[in-house]
This record gives sequence, structure tokens and C-alpha cells, in this order.
Amino acid sequence: MSKNLLFTTVLFLFATITAFSEVPGGDSLRTRNLKGVTVNGQAIKAARAAQPVQVYSEKEIGTLNALNITDVAKYFSGVTIKDYGGIGGMKTVSFRGMGTQYTGVSYDGIMMSDIQSGQIDLGRFSLDNISEISLTNGQPNDIFQSARMFSSGGVLCLKTKLLDYDKNKSFEGKISLKTGSFGFLNPSFFLAKNFGKKWAFNLSTDAQMANGKYTFLQYYGSSTRNISEVLTRKNGDVKSLRSEINGLYRINRNESVSMKANYYGSERGLPGSITFYNNDDSHQRLKDQTFFSQIHYKNRVSERFRHQYSAKINISDNHYTDVDPKYSTTSGILRDNYLQKEYYLSSTFQYKLLDPLLISASTDWWYNDLNINSNINFKNFQYPTRHTGLANVATKYFSERLTVGANLLYTLTREKVRIGVPAPNRDKLSPTINISYKLIEDTELRIRAFYKNIYRLPTFNDLYYQDMGNNNLRPEDANQYNIGFTYLDTGIPFLSEFAITVDGYYNRVKDKIIAIPRDMFHWSMINKDQVDVKGLDVSVKTSIKVGKSDLVKLKSNYSLQSAKDATVGSDNYGEQIPYTPVHSGSGSISYQHGKWEAGYNMVFSGVRWIGQMTDPRNKMNGYAIHSIFVSTTYKQWNVNAEVIDIFNTQYEVVKFYPMPRRNFRITLAMNLGK
Amino acid sequence: MKTTKFISLLLLTTIFTPLFTSCDSNNNVENPEIGTGVYVLNEGKYLANNASLTYYDFATGFASADLFLDKNNRGLGDTGQDMIKYGSKIYIAVYKSSIIEVIDAKTGISTKSIAMKNDAGASISPRSLTATNGKVYIVLYDGHVTQMDTTNFTLGQKIAVGANPDASVIANNKLYVANTGGMAAVMDSTISVINLTTFTQEKKITVNLNPGTIKADSYGDVYVVSNGNYGSIPGKFQRIEAGTDKVTDINVKVKNFDIVGDNAYIYNFEYDANWQAANKTIAIYDVKNEKLVNANIVTSEIIKTPYCIDVDPVSKDIYLGVTDYKNNGKMYCFTQSGTLKFNFTTGLNPSKVVFIIK
Repeated sequence: MSKNLLFTTVLFLFATITAFSEVPGGDSLRTRNLKGVTVNGQAIKAARAAQPVQVYSEKEIGTLNALNITDVAKYFSGVTIKDYGGIGGMKTVSFRGMGTQYTGVSYDGIMMSDIQSGQIDLGRFSLDNISEISLTNGQPNDIFQSARMFSSGGVLCLKTKLLDYDKNKSFEGKISLKTGSFGFLNPSFFLAKNFGKKWAFNLSTDAQMANGKYTFLQYYGSSTRNISEVLTRKNGDVKSLRSEINGLYRINRNESVSMKANYYGSERGLPGSITFYNNDDSHQRLKDQTFFSQIHYKNRVSERFRHQYSAKINISDNHYTDVDPKYSTTSGILRDNYLQKEYYLSSTFQYKLLDPLLISASTDWWYNDLNINSNINFKNFQYPTRHTGLANVATKYFSERLTVGANLLYTLTREKVRIGVPAPNRDKLSPTINISYKLIEDTELRIRAFYKNIYRLPTFNDLYYQDMGNNNLRPEDANQYNIGFTYLDTGIPFLSEFAITVDGYYNRVKDKIIAIPRDMFHWSMINKDQVDVKGLDVSVKTSIKVGKSDLVKLKSNYSLQSAKDATVGSDNYGEQIPYTPVHSGSGSISYQHGKWEAGYNMVFSGVRWIGQMTDPRNKMNGYAIHSIFVSTTYKQWNVNAEVIDIFNTQYEVVKFYPMPRRNFRITLAMNLGK
Repeated sequence: MKTTKFISLLLLTTIFTPLFTSCDSNNNVENPEIGTGVYVLNEGKYLANNASLTYYDFATGFASADLFLDKNNRGLGDTGQDMIKYGSKIYIAVYKSSIIEVIDAKTGISTKSIAMKNDAGASISPRSLTATNGKVYIVLYDGHVTQMDTTNFTLGQKIAVGANPDASVIANNKLYVANTGGMAAVMDSTISVINLTTFTQEKKITVNLNPGTIKADSYGDVYVVSNGNYGSIPGKFQRIEAGTDKVTDINVKVKNFDIVGDNAYIYNFEYDANWQAANKTIAIYDVKNEKLVNANIVTSEIIKTPYCIDVDPVSKDIYLGVTDYKNNGKMYCFTQSGTLKFNFTTGLNPSKVVFIIK
């Protein structure tokens, strides 16, 4: 563990020194040549954002040893990943000490939802058709957005590829095959086609399968001094199919309609947490199917006025089974079925009042229902439905040096149940203000700050889950404060770009919804806990020109999260909240030489606790995971070979869900239409 | 030049930080000698592999946090369901780990771990243990009871009882097993009566829904606390009369109890609006004359939620374990008159006390 950290440090030190040692001696001629290098729009966007935003483009994602969305999210500062291990394990993202439910996930501009748990399993998205992933604290900086985009603690935005109109090219495609350890096989294809100036379509499909049989080292205790055994993970096989079709119709230069239909289906084992001395314990399976379709119309009526409308339908059907002799009255099997639906509508108007002053208004409405049936459980299920309405007014003033934004979000919920008493109606106003100011003319150094109040509505599980649900739960209330600075320099000799952001924040979550036990197996949901989070997010990014056209890219981020239980009277008062490391971060280096690119990525997490800090069994050791890749292109072919966890480090992100150790992946891709 | 230094410094600071966070502090391993005292089985949390064994020594007044781990260099597993002392051994049923752990009562060292499997080879969970005549009877959550020889630890015959049987007790040379139906669509409400001579199920006695704790007095009466459905059907305290098997309701509120001599020691509490335990009491009920002797003997404050009660068969001291289901628990020791003698910290969810008395 510490050996790996040392190695990391030495490697980074070496890379950093090598990269910078040449700079002072650089001759003026070469310096001048590099001054005019264009910095991508993304870097400028990030530097000018009043609400901190971190972005990875498709190209950058390709250098991160990433297989899925959460693999990318690990490289965002302030983010905590929950990864239950393996290809099929659930993966969620949270940030800055706030619960997973505070992270909204937007897919091509429309928010995803899960009314049952409030958590989006990011494991089900593929990177194959993703063009950009970004995380904004608070909300996106663009105010021409649906009201729902303003309703989370932060938004993880996923953007897919769509072929832009190009009169020289009407067809583009990619076929790839990825294979790797644990029986992993992932064929995918992407095809995009334009029909004249008006129509564009794309289709992307990928299938994944894996047997999930990986070995892991299990200690039968809390310490590496305890007896241990190397075991093989069981019941972790997965088969999945994802398919998406997109269409775009450009009515005219200012008006367009886009449509999307997405299907995901999987059948997988849920290996569950490790049970000491009983490694063939889990026989739980999950078969899930999700279908959603969305349509979006936008119209830029004039320079001053624009408006847009969206609609969406989402159906999610999960079948869970567990085979265990304890279900002796039902032939040893438990079957739980969950079906949830959402219908969603949104409209947004934006008007430019004065030249640098925008105002926008948006209204959203959506409807959710949940149906559960089971051969054993949920005999008194209440069949809840919820209407949610949002209205948002936002304004933004921006000039070269100053950006000021504010919005006020109004939320209402109206809930019904078929049996029993529904949750009371909720009406709530929540404001945000933000500011960004360029300190010195001609230097891209800005100071920024924001305040956002947001709340999280109780989910249907919180309110209506059998035995434990509590229909009187209030929404959680969270206040976020952030102050930071951003610096971007494109004039440093030899560096094509240097960007740094530093943000300090304070978050306070009140009325936190927690489960408290009545006995071992019966819990109740209540509003009780309070959490105070003070933290620091630092990110540094630079690209160094080497020789004629070679490029070294360096990226590093660090997060400090002091997330304390602030519940008065709690035994855990003043302790770090579970699963939140005080220190975490990542670093990446990639080197591009002609058609070759190689890179190294490292993710580290400090010690985490899963309960009271006086009990050593609640401690989870820190880890650093190092991975490398090399890729090359030949004509239309592209090959990428990866080694993940090169030092074979055994670690857990979630207690008793061991992660795979060293493993390999190779990707062969063929580009079409190039 | 200046900028470069600044940048290097920043990068380095960012990268160096993990070095300061990966230090591991060693905790002292407690390794006490076993004299006279009590073993407390701590259930731990479900799916957390943190069942543990606390040993409290009467002479030193010292409680070791996890004696099983200290003596065997491995944890008990997930979750500590029941513990009995029989002969020189202590038997522990570990629920999800699906094992019976046999340890030497004098040393705490494991003699044997026995995996519980059904005929198809699937793991099955032990729920409760009783012992008599050289046999330990193991109640299995898949609806069976099996027996284990205490000389060679081999498993014997297995018989079917009701759905998801839980607690068990021996009285009148019979084994009474409470069938909960906890994993069934409809909960059970029967007690299986097993003849220990023939090892066959003689009959099923119907009691209130979802029977939990079951104990017997020296007159052959069996007392049952049922939990109801945690909703419309409330729990009950009932007596199964020796000989006639007649079931009578007893009008005393009981969460859990133990019987020693002619007394049942009963704890009860109610939940307030925030699901915090309130009105915590320990009552004494006379099982010979069938009447409540004292509605509450405890005058000092009891923190958290009562979780187990066991009475020292010799001194008649009353041990009450409490929990908040999240952190380490606490064990109180009261005299018969309700005076607090001592208390000590246990592991998570203290659920059973076994007395090591010379």
C-alpha cells in the first residue's frame, strides 16, 4: 500500500520535474511559436464558471482506463464513488459529503430519475456513445435549462454523440470489440448518418458479458494480521444489452427537433457482500429492463428570445429473485417485482433584456408511480403516485470580467396512495446565487462564489417501503456555500495550457433522512441527522509540448472532505460520516507521440469509516490504484491495451464488496466513413 | 520562472498528500486469561461480519472487546445468533456464516467449526441451540432441527418443524421450537413439540402470531413471547401448561425474559414518536404462583434500547444488555433488588450471556 503510494509520488515527481526542468532554458523562438496555441473551449468554460464545473471529453475519457461512467467520475474532485465491484455491480456517485440523491444525472439535457431509491445506477450507461461527461456543483451555468436541472445538489451531465452537419461527410461509424479478464466481452457499434441538411440519425448498441469470477483476498477480521484466504467471487456473472437511437430534424437554421429512444436490459447475479466462512452464500439474481424515450424541440426565435420544450417517458421493470432454503414455504424462492414509470414535460423561455443580461423561466411537471409485487413481501404495499411541479426563474449578467447569476426554484408535490395515508403535499422555495469575477485584466484569474439551498424529497422507499417507510418524512434541507478561484494560462512557455481551480466549501445538511432500527430486522425512516461538511477541491491540468508535435498531458485533483456528524446528542457526534474519506484524489499522465499514446492513471482514497471510529472494525484502509494503457492507430483501426490495478492491490470501495485486483483489457476498434 | 515553481509546488502538494493519510495505527490486542466471569455474545450487524464475544472478568472487572478474535486471530462471522455452555464447551450459532463454532470455555480457543448445509449442499442458517444428554439441538431457519453429538461433533438426524423456526427450549424431555414464518408470505404461530427420546415431532401447539422468545420453568410450564405482525396484531406473553398444553394469556407486557428458579425476569419498553425506547422496566413474575411480584425493580437510568436479559443461576444477578443497533452496546448488572452492581461495554448488539462460574 505505502509502497504503491511511494511509487506514485516518485513517478509524479519525476514527471513533474522532467516536464518543468526544461522550461527555464527554453529559447524564445520556440516559446513564440507555442504562444498562439488554441486552448479548447472546455478549459475556458471551466475557468469562467461561477458554479464549479469539471469536464471530460470523449478524447480524454479514452485515456482514463475507464470502462464506465463511474470510472470517469473517479477523476472529478470532491466525488465519492460507491462501487459494489465487478462488471454488474451497482455504481453510484455522490459529492461533497452529501447523499447520492443530491447528484442529479442528466442525459442529453433531460434528468434521469428513480423514484424508488433516488439513486441512478451509472453502471447501466456505456461510454461507447458518450461525447462528454461533466459535473457541476449546484447546477449548470447555462440558464437556458429545464427547472429540474436546478433541483439537485449538483448535476452529472452525460452528452452523447450526434453527427453535426458536414457537407463533405454524411456517414460515420465505429465498430469495436473489447475483451478482458473475468470472461469480459463487449462488442459495440455506432453508426451516424445525415440525410441532406435536415435529417441526422444515429444508432448505437453494445452488449456486455462477463462471468465475473475474480479472485480476491479476504481477511477474517479487521486487520491484515488476521487469518486470510484467497477466494473466488461467485454469482457475479452479467449479460446486458444497451441500444439507443437518436434522430435530429433541423426545421430551419434556428429550429430543431431531436428524439431519442433508449433500451437497456440485463440479467445478472448479485454476488452480495462477503459472508465470513460462507462464500457460496448468494443466489440473488436481478433481471432489469429500462426503456426511455425523449423528444426535444428548440427554437431560437431571435437574438433576444429563445424557447424549448421536452417530453419524456421512462419505464423501469426489475425482477429480483433469491434462492435460499429459508424460503421453505415458497419452494425456496423469493420473487420481488418492481415496476416504475415516469412521464415528464418541460418548457423553458429565455430572453435577453439588455445586452449582457439574460432572464429565463422554466416550468416542469412530471408524474411517477411505483408498483411492487412479491410472492412473500409487500403484502400491504400502498401503490403510491406523485405529481411533481417545478417552476424556476433565473437571471444571469455576464461581461468579460464579471458574471452574476441567481435563480429561485419553486417545487410542489402532490401525492396519492391506493391504500392508507399518502405523504403530505410539499411546497418549497429554494434560491441560488453565484458570482465570478476576473481579478486582473488580461490574466485569466478569477474568484468565484456561490450559495445554493436545495432539499431532497423523500423517495418512495423512504415513505412507503414495507414496515420501515414513514409517510411523515420531511424533505432533507441542504445549504451549500462555495468560494474559490480559477486560473488559466496559455502563455507559459512550453505549456499549451495550464489550468488550476481551488474551491473551498461548506455544506450543511439538516433533517437528514435516516433509517433507525426498532429491532435487528425492522427499521423506520425518520428525519434526524445533521451533517456539516467543510472541504477543499483542487484540480490542476496542464499540457506540455515536447519536441515538434508530442504532447504530455498532466491532470491531478485532490479533495479534502471533513464531513462530520453534527447530530446533537448522537454517539457519533463529531465523527466523519461513513464512506467519506478525508483525503482522496487522482492523477493522470498521458504521452502522445504521433499515432501512439500511452498513459498512467492513479486513483487514491484515504481511510474511510463505516461506523463509530472507536471500533477498529469500522475502519476501511486507504488505497491507491494504478493503471496504465497504450494505444495506437493504423489507418482506420485503433487498438488500446490496458492493465488495471498493476500492483494487484486488494481494496474495497464498499465494505465486504472486494474489488477485482489486477486485470487486463484490450479494445480493437474500426472507424467507418473516414 | 516564478510561475513554474509555484506550479510545481502545487502539483507536488496535491500529489504528496496521500502519504500523510496512509499511516495505520496499531491497536493493542487484549488477551485475557479466563477465570470466573461472563461471556457475552454480540450479534453484530447483519451483513457486517462483526459478531463478537466479550469476556468480562469478575476479578479484574475488565471486559475484553473481542475475545474470539484475540484467541483465534479471526472473527466470529455474521451474525451471532445464539450461545450456550454445555460441559466444558461453548457452542455459538452464527447465522449467515451458517456455522456452529465450538470453543473451549476455559481458553476461548475454537475446537471446531461445523458448517450447516442442507441435503442439496446449500448453506442453511442456525437460529438457536439447546443441549441435554450429550446432544446439542440446532434449530435451522430452513424449517428443521438437527442434533449434534458433543463428543465427536458429528451431526445426526434432521427433522422438519414449522416455517423459519427460531427460539427453542427443553422441558419435560421435549424440545419446544417457536415457528415464526418470518420468511413466509403468512407468518407462523405454532410451537413444534419434539420428543427427544424418539426425535420426532409430536405435535404443534398454536399460540399468538410470530412466537419469539421461549423459556421453561422447573415445573414444566413453557412461556412464550410472540411479536405479532408489528402492526395490527400485537405481541403477547403466553404460558403453555405442563401436561395439558393449554395456552393461557398472561397480562404482562414483555419484550424479552429469562427464567431462573421461580422467577421470570422480564424487560419491557415502549417506543416514543422518534422510535426511541422509553419507559424501560425490569419486572419480576412468579412462575410458581403465576403472579407479578414487582412491576419494575430498576430505579437507575438505562441508556439505549434493551436487547437481552440473562440471569446468573447462582447469584441471581440480572444482566441486561442494551444497544442502539449502530455502536458498541452495554451490559448492566443489577441485583435482585434492582441495585446497579456494575456495567461494562460490549460489542454491537449484545444478545446472550453465558456464565463461567466455578
